[in-house]
Amino acid sequence: MALTNQRVDVPVIVDESKCLEKCHACIEVCPLDVLVKNPETGKAYMKYDECWFCLPCEKECPTNAITVQIPFLLR
Amino acid sequence: MYDDINDELQPWVEMLQSSAVEDRLVAVKTLQHIGDEDAIAPLIDALKDEDTNVQKIAIAAIWELNNPVAIEPLMACLRSPDAEVREEALSALKELIAPADLMMLLDYIQEDNFYMQLNVLILLRKIHDAQALPYVLPFFESEQEELREAAITTLRYLNQIETCPPALALMNDESPIVRREATLTLGYLQDREVVELLCRALTSDPDWQVRGRAARSLALHKNSIAIPSLAQALSDEHWQVRKFTARTLQEVADESVIPDLIKCLADEYSDIRRDAATALGNIGNPDVLNALQQTLDDPDADVRIFSQKAIDKIRQKQTAIN
Repeated sequence: MALTNQRVDVPVIVDESKCLEKCHACIEVCPLDVLVKNPETGKAYMKYDECWFCLPCEKECPTNAITVQIPFLLR
Repeated sequence: MYDDINDELQPWVEMLQSSAVEDRLVAVKTLQHIGDEDAIAPLIDALKDEDTNVQKIAIAAIWELNNPVAIEPLMACLRSPDAEVREEALSALKELIAPADLMMLLDYIQEDNFYMQLNVLILLRKIHDAQALPYVLPFFESEQEELREAAITTLRYLNQIETCPPALALMNDESPIVRREATLTLGYLQDREVVELLCRALTSDPDWQVRGRAARSLALHKNSIAIPSLAQALSDEHWQVRKFTARTLQEVADESVIPDLIKCLADEYSDIRRDAATALGNIGNPDVLNALQQTLDDPDADVRIFSQKAIDKIRQKQTAIN
């Protein structure tokens, strides 16, 4: 699986100002386990550029910090 | 504070008492994910949290646990000033309530709170019990149109109600939203004046949705008294009204509407051409065969198929007579 180098290019965008450090909701629901916590900031991010666009991470986030950018052809 | 809380739940239940809203959000979300029935008491307490996001997640968590002990605490959320909390609680209660909860709902509906009354009227639709009728009727005269609309809609869901004279008055309500629901409800009532009221709505109500719904309700009554009004509605300015009228004429029609139905075979909207062709086929008069033949080269495939079916039906009928 390819590691993501540019975090702004991945489909799962995390608004770090809203992300809660103690919360792991998105990481737990991701079926591909591609979301992790940044150990320095405690915020979630997409570590591997692999996504099913299934959306539980966006739905489960208690602060609506996650936006999944669905490709136009999948909308 | 709580009995029977296991070690896995303990830290999250404690965190739920935190003064920081971020901590309480994380705690309630985690309790939702754990999904342990033992967490029901702290989750019920979280319904009273000052933060509406915590309340919403607690409602979702309780909903997933599907435990009837949460019904009363969720009912209290129905009077919340936050629309999303009320909506979430209503969705949860729709799945949790059972016919045995009818008396509790009837107690709550008497509370002088607009949101509570509105939501209980919606919940009564899940129970279908005619015992609720005396509690629903006063809302027909409510000053708020939302309550009048909810009450007349609920009436449609109550079993064994065949006549309800107070409902007929709502056909003249000043609000089109109320009249629309009243028109649909009248489709299920058997009062003597119902068909006449629906015919009047079909031909003269200023709101096109009321006229369209009147046509749909008349299809349920299948009363031949409505035929002249239906014939008139075939030339309504709104295509949806013409469409539902043509559909109703598939159920109830006689030869007097043939000229109006033939005009509809040239309607701008293909749904109307299709439904008119089917209605003509159901009447079965061979005089319309020429008109139907001309629709066999209609640009819409649906119209061609249904016209052919109508032609076949008329020919079969002729063959059977001969």
